[in-house]
Amino acid sequence: MAETTASDQRTNGAQTAGTQETNGAVQALIEEWRDVAYNCFSSGHKFCREVCPVMQVTRDERHTPTAFHANVVAMEKGHLSIEDVAEDYVHCTMCGACELRCPNSLFTGDFYRFRQRTIDVVKAMRALAVQSGVHQKNWKRWAELTNRWGNEPVLGWTKETSANKVRAWAVGLNIPTGGETILFADCEAAFYRPSVPRSVAQLLTAAGVKFGLMNQQWCCGGPMWETGYVDIAHAMAEHNMLDWRKTNTKRIVCLDPHDYITIVENYPALDPNFDEFEIVLAVDLIAEKIREGKLKLTTPVRRTVTYHDPCRLNKRMGVWKAPREILRAIPGLTFVDVDHVTQWSYCSGAGSNLGVEKPELTAEISRRRMAKAGELDGVDTLVSACPWSERPLTEQGEAQGIEVFDIFELVAEAAGFEV
Amino acid sequence: MATVALLDGVVDELTAICGPDHVFTGRSAVFNRARVPAPFPVHRWEEHIPSAVVLPTSAEQVSEVVKLANRHGIPVVPRAGATGLTDGAVPLRHGIVVDIKLMNQILELDHENRTVTVGPGINMLKLNEELRKHGYIYPDDPASYPCSLVGGRIGTSGWSLIGARYGHTRDLVISFEMVLPTGEIIRVGDGGGPTVRKSSSGYQLKHLFMGHQGTLGIVTEATLELVKRPEAEFSMFFSYGSYMDAWRATGELARSGVATLAGVVLFDEEKIRYLRRDDEAYIPQPESVKAVIACAAYGNADEVRVGAKRLLRIGKASGGAYLGDEISQGDWASRHDRYATPQHGRTRDGQVALMSWHCEDAAIPYPQLPAVREKWHAIADSLRERFDMFDDWGIFAYTNGAFKPWGDYLTEIDIGIWEMKWDDESWAAWVDAKRELARVSIEHGGSISACHGACRAGEVDLVPTELGGGFEVMKTIKRALDPNNIMNPSKYLLGQAYEEE
Amino acid sequence: MLGFRLSAEKPPQAHRVTDVVINRFEHVYEVDPALMTEHVHQQAIPNWEFNRIVENRWEHLAWMHDHFAESVLSGEGLLAEVEAEG
Ligand SMILES: Cc1cc2nc3c(=O)[nH]c(=O)nc-3n(C[C@H](O)[C@H](O)[C@H](O)COP(=O)(O)OP(=O)(O)OC[C@H]3O[C@@H](n4cnc5c(N)ncnc54)[C@H](O)[C@@H]3O)c2cc1C
Ligand code: SF4
Repeated sequence: MAETTASDQRTNGAQTAGTQETNGAVQALIEEWRDVAYNCFSSGHKFCREVCPVMQVTRDERHTPTAFHANVVAMEKGHLSIEDVAEDYVHCTMCGACELRCPNSLFTGDFYRFRQRTIDVVKAMRALAVQSGVHQKNWKRWAELTNRWGNEPVLGWTKETSANKVRAWAVGLNIPTGGETILFADCEAAFYRPSVPRSVAQLLTAAGVKFGLMNQQWCCGGPMWETGYVDIAHAMAEHNMLDWRKTNTKRIVCLDPHDYITIVENYPALDPNFDEFEIVLAVDLIAEKIREGKLKLTTPVRRTVTYHDPCRLNKRMGVWKAPREILRAIPGLTFVDVDHVTQWSYCSGAGSNLGVEKPELTAEISRRRMAKAGELDGVDTLVSACPWSERPLTEQGEAQGIEVFDIFELVAEAAGFEV
Repeated sequence: MATVALLDGVVDELTAICGPDHVFTGRSAVFNRARVPAPFPVHRWEEHIPSAVVLPTSAEQVSEVVKLANRHGIPVVPRAGATGLTDGAVPLRHGIVVDIKLMNQILELDHENRTVTVGPGINMLKLNEELRKHGYIYPDDPASYPCSLVGGRIGTSGWSLIGARYGHTRDLVISFEMVLPTGEIIRVGDGGGPTVRKSSSGYQLKHLFMGHQGTLGIVTEATLELVKRPEAEFSMFFSYGSYMDAWRATGELARSGVATLAGVVLFDEEKIRYLRRDDEAYIPQPESVKAVIACAAYGNADEVRVGAKRLLRIGKASGGAYLGDEISQGDWASRHDRYATPQHGRTRDGQVALMSWHCEDAAIPYPQLPAVREKWHAIADSLRERFDMFDDWGIFAYTNGAFKPWGDYLTEIDIGIWEMKWDDESWAAWVDAKRELARVSIEHGGSISACHGACRAGEVDLVPTELGGGFEVMKTIKRALDPNNIMNPSKYLLGQAYEEE
Repeated sequence: MLGFRLSAEKPPQAHRVTDVVINRFEHVYEVDPALMTEHVHQQAIPNWEFNRIVENRWEHLAWMHDHFAESVLSGEGLLAEVEAEG
């Protein structure tokens, strides 16, 4: 891909002196997203602004969904090029708040079967940037290492997260390979927060769920789709589906909402036989087991907790009841809840690898989230259900004296396991 | 194709004032601050881009930027939420956009005086999430409640959906700090200290510095009214067999004297027909439903109860049929969300086309509503006949008075416009139609705008007609306060103030 | 079934409600798809997502009531009182 030089850009303005391939890709993006973009351009009312975690911090209109859509229109009119806007599109955690809150989704998205698809537009723009040779330095590096190691470099640039180490978290738990049901452990959880998959594994076993692990779990591909490295994403997804088929797996239990939504939203298009798989969220499964009395929580957990609705669970999938049901089943726990609609405007800032490229922005979003928790009476613990959120939240929690747990870590404690 | 360059060194000066992270000249920064939600000449986007954007964080920075602009003769356009529907925040002569969104702090909560002091970049919904913890509400509730900001509310002198009970922006903002067009920082209110609600000292400058669309300076801080959070909300929707029946009932409800009454809204027949396209409340209504009235009340639970029963009695006695709790409550709660959805648009053959929302927002005296309604629909029909890109979305009329809902009505004809189709001919026809809509309002004793302001192409031509000698005073004030014509130049035809010199 | 299964995501059979409106799920209206064939086309929205939007809408409306006041009075209840009082 030809890289456009700065001087080219200056002389040609928006008319990218790109290759025919790049121009074709720009046209294809406009074709695909024109209507969605105009759907916002013709509203432009910015109901999305104050729920956006990035906008709450930067308050820069370039980072609004309004701009993300208007740019498509401006590109069609020849005013802007991908070089002009690529960096703006970094400012998004793909939390889904904007497209959920947008009246074009919330009030008419179902009626017309046409909703505001902002996340998809951001993904498409990031992919176009990559295709046009406009890279974000750290995302590029992240993608290269993911591609090389099979899993995301969640332990830093030098500590290999290779696929043959992805089951290290399970040491001593005697989990078989494959089988009808497998637990998909997520890169961040498997390598950085192994207490989460260990908790889930022990809980499933205690509840009588038979499950195995993949031969070789690779990254679900989500972050690659999210940051524009689509070819790598496809390779990851195809590997994982092949792995499932090799072990006759039919049911995939996801402990991380990012993995779940990636698989559900992106995999089916790659595989005509996807219907043979059932994808299950661990929070739903554990909540069911507690409800059915198959998982007994008897050890009191003496904490005053609030719950952080992970964006992909709450805003993108509408899953907010199950985690609350679980927390209310833990003995000894005082639960100070903040309703899930208020939390449409909360976020950890971790999503779509924002923290890889803009760590200070992720930190500030997390700091504000933890400050909200700090305002609640007596809260000493924040519980999340998304390992990706837990890293920045934990870092910010330290400063505010609030501990951060994954919901499964707490449930495991209540079920009497050492975590 | 280049953006509009500033003089050498100006960007450096701006950077010295606001800091390197808060000054932008990039293409996406300026193209994304060229428009607001009102119908926009997409085909003439470049005419409206600023040359630079700053996001100041203090009154001092704003003041320095304005002084710099005076030194160099560069236009300054204040921009808050950019939800304004009269193009106030759209640059007409490029220049520097002063975007105040970063000034969004809650500065002081004064329980004794029941005021809250905030930066102009704060949004009302966000403010109220905080105030709720203390049992207060700041009840400025436009349909843009989730997205407009206090600075823009002052810049437009906005109208609130529940203003009949709690007042509108001008009644709810007690005082504010502002940077004048020459850079001095002053505080204006009715008079006296920042929390004084009523004063007779000197000129009433608060009114002068509200609704000027950024032509007289930039608000940098505001002291707002704190109201006890309502114990109860009541909303009721009644249907009627004809517009005239509903119009009569609207008048009766508005004159009922119910103190908790927060607003009465009248939906006309075209509006109901339009809502049947896609609104779950109206799709199942029988054909006999031709017009609807909505009412809302807020306050202490016992008082709302008593008032509500009185309103229900009037609704019944006037021949209305109660539409049930689900519609009454659901539709009222969605009062912010249902306006600007492009999918509402239909071409003449009934196909869905993505249309932008134009909202005429005249103030019309009650007796004139039926006549204005007919003339406005005729204008919209004629547009639609000539161009299959305009669509009549019906008329609403809302009680417009503060605290006393009778009298005149914020009257809105909503017109869908398929903006992808703009060309010079359709744009010119639209501007003519806007002027005609405004002319009808004035001829019937009304005002072009009850809430957004009257700066847009077409309507603005008639501002001198509406204001008469008052427009001459406006020009005199503008020239006196803004000798270099820096602040949002060319808005409200105020360029004329300088031509005559 | 607890989780996601692709074949369970296809929209159910449509029924006509008015000449421009249909419905597939109980109490939820949809535009007649024939109206979105020329200028703008419908998206493929899986059932889970469709229902999420509907539920989010009701949750949002409940939140809005709660945001503005402590309680909401029922017009039906009050109207019954008015009628009883004559
Ligand atoms: C869906 C929707 C519904 C709406 N409903 C209503 C309604 O019910 N009632 C109503 O009144 N309006 C309504 N509006 C219009 C709009 O929201 C209001 O005019 C609002 O007051 C604009 O606020 P803003 O923060 O978006 O200001 P902007 O659009 O950014 O600015 C408005 C004007 O104020 C000036 N300005 C901005 N900041 C300052 C400042 N700090 N000092 C001085 N001048 C400044 C700008 O230059 C501009 O002229 C609606 C708009 C939308 C999109
Ligand atoms: S994304 Fe939705 S809410 Fe935001 S500006 Fe666009 S249409 Fe409005």
